[in-house]
Amino acid sequence: MNMNAIEIHDLVKSFNGSPVLNKINFKVRKGEIFGYLGPTGSGKTTTMRIMLGLLKPTAGRALILGAEPDEHNGNIRGKIGVLLENNGLYERLSAYQNLLYYARLYGVHEPDRVEKIKGLLEFAGLFDRKNEKVGRFSTGMKRKLGLARAMINDPEILFLDEPTHGLDPESRMRVSDLILRLSKEEGITVFLNTHDLSEVEKICSNAAILESGRIRACDTIIGLRRSHDTPILEITLLDTGCAEWTLNLLNSQDHTYNCEQDGRLVTVTLNGESPSTVLAMLVTNGIAVEEVKNATKSLEAVYLDLMKRERKHK
Amino acid sequence: MNTIRIVAEKELNDIIRTRSQMLVGIFFALWFSAMTAPAIMTAEKSLVFDQYNNLLFYFVLMPGIFMAYMFSGKVFFNEKREGIIETLLCTPLSMRRIWAGKILGVTIPAYLIALLTAALITLIANIITTTILLPSPAVFLHIVLVVPAFIAVAVGLMGFGHLLLGMRENQILNITIFAAIFLAFSLANNNVTNGGSAVSGVLVGGMLIIAVLLLALISYLTRYLSKERITMTLS
Repeated sequence: MNMNAIEIHDLVKSFNGSPVLNKINFKVRKGEIFGYLGPTGSGKTTTMRIMLGLLKPTAGRALILGAEPDEHNGNIRGKIGVLLENNGLYERLSAYQNLLYYARLYGVHEPDRVEKIKGLLEFAGLFDRKNEKVGRFSTGMKRKLGLARAMINDPEILFLDEPTHGLDPESRMRVSDLILRLSKEEGITVFLNTHDLSEVEKICSNAAILESGRIRACDTIIGLRRSHDTPILEITLLDTGCAEWTLNLLNSQDHTYNCEQDGRLVTVTLNGESPSTVLAMLVTNGIAVEEVKNATKSLEAVYLDLMKRERKHK
Repeated sequence: MNTIRIVAEKELNDIIRTRSQMLVGIFFALWFSAMTAPAIMTAEKSLVFDQYNNLLFYFVLMPGIFMAYMFSGKVFFNEKREGIIETLLCTPLSMRRIWAGKILGVTIPAYLIALLTAALITLIANIITTTILLPSPAVFLHIVLVVPAFIAVAVGLMGFGHLLLGMRENQILNITIFAAIFLAFSLANNNVTNGGSAVSGVLVGGMLIIAVLLLALISYLTRYLSKERITMTLS
């Protein structure tokens, strides 16, 4: 039995001769939330459009549930849910009418239809506003309804393109929670196209980082952090007064890679030296330290490092 | 057929529920009939019946096409501009079915406006002439078969254009169609006021054959419409 929901093999896409995707390879296992990261214009949306059968690859293959999602494969399209940049909602129709329309298009059986829509409206927290026209909804409400719409056919894979883009922090958190619930409670595979690193770190189990149409890294979130890890030391000073002096001192050393200060907290990226050497140097120079902690690099730091390296490489 | 019906029902309900659009439709039916029906007064008594049938022949199709133009913009163009079409293309429906459903959903309300125009022209003509005027069998067939067929052709062609072309080209297309409709209107008006010839069964039959051939041609043309083409021409 194929354990992969998505398989991308040597995928190439060119527009008018210029390559947008260059031999992309990755796999997404069934039931996992996969983050597809990359800056704007890196080829994320193009990859997703190929997986959805909206674009044809120039070379290579995209297999969705073991089959190619070409124009004529309605069977595959019936098994996937899609939330693109646009929510796919009709502003003149009510929330209920929108879901009913898509339920009919996906052939959701009539006896289950009403219950299904009710459940999805409750899931999105919009049941009380089911009869309101979508045009009156806020961006966050539309996004949540869009997510509910994408779930109307009980999909095996959910493709989400920037699901929290343009949302306020509370709505972002809610949408992220909804995605997590879908994966945990329903076992749905989620392919998340985003440049929101905190979102990926919070909800994804695996991720790929795309830059200029090439996959630069693909691993579990922990694996990504480990493989690009450089030791980080978080030093909490006793008072802020000596923060600047500490920063100058650390920056003058060869073994420190990067230093940042935020109030009493000084973050030091080490370049080969042990934390005890740094600590000893501070103490010798009369700097009072309250706490020293070894920290792991965040996904954001890994991502920025990769992007920096790519730019240098170019 | 079922999925075509679902799309058609949605579009039909959406158009009918949009009060402003329906009011524009009713206004055009009134305007077309009020502007054209008095031409019957210019006809000699023996030619009143022919003149009345001429009016129905030209001016029932005209508002139908005009409404098809208006509704198509809403149904095809707006959906593309707002990007909803991309989500629709990810549903199990084939592109041809979406296109066919939309044609049906737009043709029905546009045809209803055309029928309203026919009823209003008849009413005004009857009031003016103080006689009972009813369409000849040829014109009756024209209204029942040719008018809806031509409206469907117009919707299909405009829908095809909206899906195939980019946003800027679509705006140019819209202006061109608008100008073409008014040119056709003035030509038809000129023909009617100059008397014109009686509408024959051969003419109506010929028009029906042309409509059916055009429908088949447009249906064939949709083979050249790909999801990639639609996606790449989104705004």
